[in-house]
Amino acid sequence: MSNNRVSRRQFLGYTLTGVGGFMAAGMLMPMVRFAVDPILQQKEGGDFVLTDQAVADITEEPVRVDFSYEQTDAWYVSEVTNSAWVYKEGDKLIALSPVCKHLGCTVNWAGDPEQPTQFFCPCHAGRYEKNGQNIAGTPPLGPLDEYEVQEQDGFVAIGAVRQNTLV
Amino acid sequence: MHFIGKEMDQYLNQQDYVDTAVVPLLQLDLSANGMKPSAGASEYLQTLTALLEKQFKGRILLLPPVSYAKIANRQRIADELSEELKQTKFKHVFYLTTDSEWRTIDSLKNVLWLPAIPIEDMDQSFKKSVMEDQLRQVLPLFTKEWSHHS
Repeated sequence: MSNNRVSRRQFLGYTLTGVGGFMAAGMLMPMVRFAVDPILQQKEGGDFVLTDQAVADITEEPVRVDFSYEQTDAWYVSEVTNSAWVYKEGDKLIALSPVCKHLGCTVNWAGDPEQPTQFFCPCHAGRYEKNGQNIAGTPPLGPLDEYEVQEQDGFVAIGAVRQNTLV
Repeated sequence: MHFIGKEMDQYLNQQDYVDTAVVPLLQLDLSANGMKPSAGASEYLQTLTALLEKQFKGRILLLPPVSYAKIANRQRIADELSEELKQTKFKHVFYLTTDSEWRTIDSLKNVLWLPAIPIEDMDQSFKKSVMEDQLRQVLPLFTKEWSHHS
């Protein structure tokens, strides 16, 4: 007992270290929380949107599938309906964006009666192969974008748009 | 394209491709009995033109609706609008309206008159299919005009 006596000097040292530690922690903790905040943020819009198109009905012929989600533009929230051209390649689902890479019109599958196996843009006669590859000599300069797509309970769910991975 | 600042930059760079203007003509009727049909017609016309813009984004410039009072002189509006549009490089101008009085104005070309359908009470998916039917009737008029004069 007598060996462990705490001197006044030691006692003050421990006390000040302890209080100082709490103060330092009180300052550092919010800073750390701010620093890691971007990692903890929930991502908006990265989710898949369920459509009412059954996967079983999808064939190798592209069909138009509509999907809606809410979009916030400044203070204005609106429901946006987009569509995708969905088809099966083997067992794999493929969803292409219908937005023409030229100036943003909506392309249609077999829209040109003379080219029944291509996407056709009615604005300036742009054409794309079934996999979205733009046909040289027509106005578009790149392939159609692709949507992430998955099956949820037998229905098609459409996710984020990304660059075409098929061509 | 919409008539907004951001898309005007793109329009000014692509004037050769965007050769068609679409002008919705909208009659305002603010009398007690006319207000609701007038609002319904406005909703219908703006939904239809928005769909049209989505389909033909790269070739048409959708102007904001030109709204006028019931008693407005249609002939004067027609003359002023076509005078204003003369300064532009548009090769085709379409006017869309639900107001039947425009049918008597001969000086405007390509006035598409459509009877307004009250869509306010329809549920979302039914409204969509009705509007797409309407759109399908309008689209060929555009493609026909383009294939004639290009």
